[in-house]
Amino acid sequence: MSDIPFKNPGWAGNTGEFNLSEEEVRGEDFVGTRPVHGGHASGAGTMPYMLAKKDPDGALFEGEYRERLDKILSRYPTGQAALLPALGLCQEIRGYVSPESMDAVAEVLDLSPAYVRGVATFYTMYNKRPVGKHLVQVCTNISCNLAGADEVVDAFLTYTDTELGQTSEDGNFTVIEAECLAACGFPTCVQINSRYFENVTPAEVPKICEHLKSERE
Amino acid sequence: MAYPYVSDHEVRVLSKHFGDPSHRRIGTYVERGGYGAVKKAFEMGPAQVIDEVKGSGLRGRGGAGFPTGVKWSFMPKDSGKPHYLLCNADESEPGTFKDRELIRWNPHQLIEGCLIGAYAIGAKHAYIYCRGEFFEANSILARAVEDAYEQGYAGKDILGSGNDIEITVHQGAGAYICGEETGLMNSLEGRRGQPRVKPPFPAAVGAFGMPSTINNVETLAAVKHIVDNGGDWYRQFGTEKSPGTKLFCVSGHVNKPGNYELPLGFPLIKLIEEVCGGIRDGNALKAVIPGGSSVPIINAEESSRCNLDYEGCEEVGTMLGCASVIVMDDKTDIVKQVRRMVDFYAHESCGQCTPCREGSSWTAQILKRIEYGRGTEEDLNTLMEMTQQMVGTTICVLSDSVAAPVQSSIEKFREDYLSLIRRDEKVGAA
Ligand SMILES: Cc1cc2nc3c(=O)[nH]c(=O)nc-3n(C[C@H](O)[C@H](O)[C@H](O)COP(=O)(O)O)c2cc1C
Ligand code: SF4
Ligand code: FES
Repeated sequence: MSDIPFKNPGWAGNTGEFNLSEEEVRGEDFVGTRPVHGGHASGAGTMPYMLAKKDPDGALFEGEYRERLDKILSRYPTGQAALLPALGLCQEIRGYVSPESMDAVAEVLDLSPAYVRGVATFYTMYNKRPVGKHLVQVCTNISCNLAGADEVVDAFLTYTDTELGQTSEDGNFTVIEAECLAACGFPTCVQINSRYFENVTPAEVPKICEHLKSERE
Repeated sequence: MAYPYVSDHEVRVLSKHFGDPSHRRIGTYVERGGYGAVKKAFEMGPAQVIDEVKGSGLRGRGGAGFPTGVKWSFMPKDSGKPHYLLCNADESEPGTFKDRELIRWNPHQLIEGCLIGAYAIGAKHAYIYCRGEFFEANSILARAVEDAYEQGYAGKDILGSGNDIEITVHQGAGAYICGEETGLMNSLEGRRGQPRVKPPFPAAVGAFGMPSTINNVETLAAVKHIVDNGGDWYRQFGTEKSPGTKLFCVSGHVNKPGNYELPLGFPLIKLIEEVCGGIRDGNALKAVIPGGSSVPIINAEESSRCNLDYEGCEEVGTMLGCASVIVMDDKTDIVKQVRRMVDFYAHESCGQCTPCREGSSWTAQILKRIEYGRGTEEDLNTLMEMTQQMVGTTICVLSDSVAAPVQSSIEKFREDYLSLIRRDEKVGAA
């Protein structure tokens, strides 16, 4: 990963002195991600990654994913508390949370479908519709905005030839605006799937997009 | 290894190991004295831990600045019910970016703080509610908790002391309002993250209906050092009423934005000039938001006499909040930035209270109208009146957060609004 052609992915500081590789920044133990079965139950509710490759018909709550759900359920006094992590699992597998997925969650957690719908639609991170392979979320809140986030949005839209929320023709990109991503000192911050790209300027946008297209899945 | 920027003015306690990935490994952490504070806390007993934290004067770092030791002492002593410690890692106040850094560079420091906090309030389970977008920080934290279990620092019979404390990392799903303490509890329980009416307060009826305490990441991280070194040691930094060090998240038009750990009471202007290398491009300072987007904006004159502690900020009519210092130079379009902040609140309002739900989106629309040159002077009065009705009338203070930037900017930068409003007058309109 150290050959990423732009500055400090997911990392702060845009001066040459901090031009660290992703491995150096995250530590090699932490590159890569958590196992599908969730590892120790204490962390099973965290999503290990957002897959670039999605399977809209993928099986939910089977095999290692079922193991993970059981671990999650063991951590709370109520089954309902597993609702958010369970919706997260659906998104991890299928790339979005469809009404069918919501119903499946309702069934596995013994909740009413209407209740699950009400909760799932409250949270912005659950995609209610399919999105591109790379979901590009550009923070345009105040700190990034002061640094020119609007131009970064435009650069992404120009490169992908889309409008906000639209998926590019090749299925690679969906660009949306995001609220503050808690990386305000390193603007503009862009979240692409599960990764943060910090200090993004319009000039870097094509490089980032090219790189994403070339990356292994 | 240098963290993006460091300054000689810093007192690096919590941020000492920022920039050093090896510190995430439990082996390195323990070698450097990690988990010693847990051992010490178990020897002290819960009452003395609470006293030590009270003595340190530590105030909550999540925004409200309530004394942590006092909050812990509200927990019932023998309720016979399970207690919960909740760590608020939902960091989403615009301008704030310290908790994510605390987690990704020093996850064990937070875990240690959670163990101590849970022990002090008699909780057998601590939940760390981590913002959903923080995939990387989440993985790092989950991995660190896993390591802590493996080495006997979490779970059953910790370090042979007979104390059981479980820790669970819970990933949110994108909603600012889940950072509000009771919204967080609802979200943890698998509900919509809508705030609850208080009372009852969390110490009586909290998560899963049980006595609970909620603390910010930075608060709990500081607890570890207070137990290690004592409350008096902590008091050597900062001021009488605002003791200790604080991470200042500086963003906006400074040459060196970033996280700086400074003693509370540090002068704002010195932070901008000396620590952050001044305003970018040699421009002049126009305005500062010292505590995240929910606090009033101050102008350059007020900034020049503002000391960064809870009292100092109040003196110039604003709040320290989570010490998220947003700096704006004289090229800034204040109206646009205020509109952008209000858009945020309109988007994040949970919708339970009418003044907040309706008020925030109407405020945003009027601001947009002014921004695009279609506003009137009367709009400014409407904005003041409307936001006034949003203060103190709702379940939580998100609604008040809309009033803060709107009212303060109209008061202090009225000319900016008027120049947009009168844009067309130059060609003769009355
Ligand atoms: C709308 C709203 C959002 C909040 N967001 C956060 C947050 O993201 N992180 C946080 O620690 N506290 C947040 N708070 C403050 C919490 O309600 C709570 O006061 C804090 O977590 C308590 O911890 P402390 O005593 O350690 O400061 C928020 C409050 C409100 C009203
Ligand atoms: S003030 Fe706004 S965010 Fe808070 S409870 Fe009411 S509607 Fe929800
Ligand atoms: S304002 Fe963009 S990350 Fe905070």
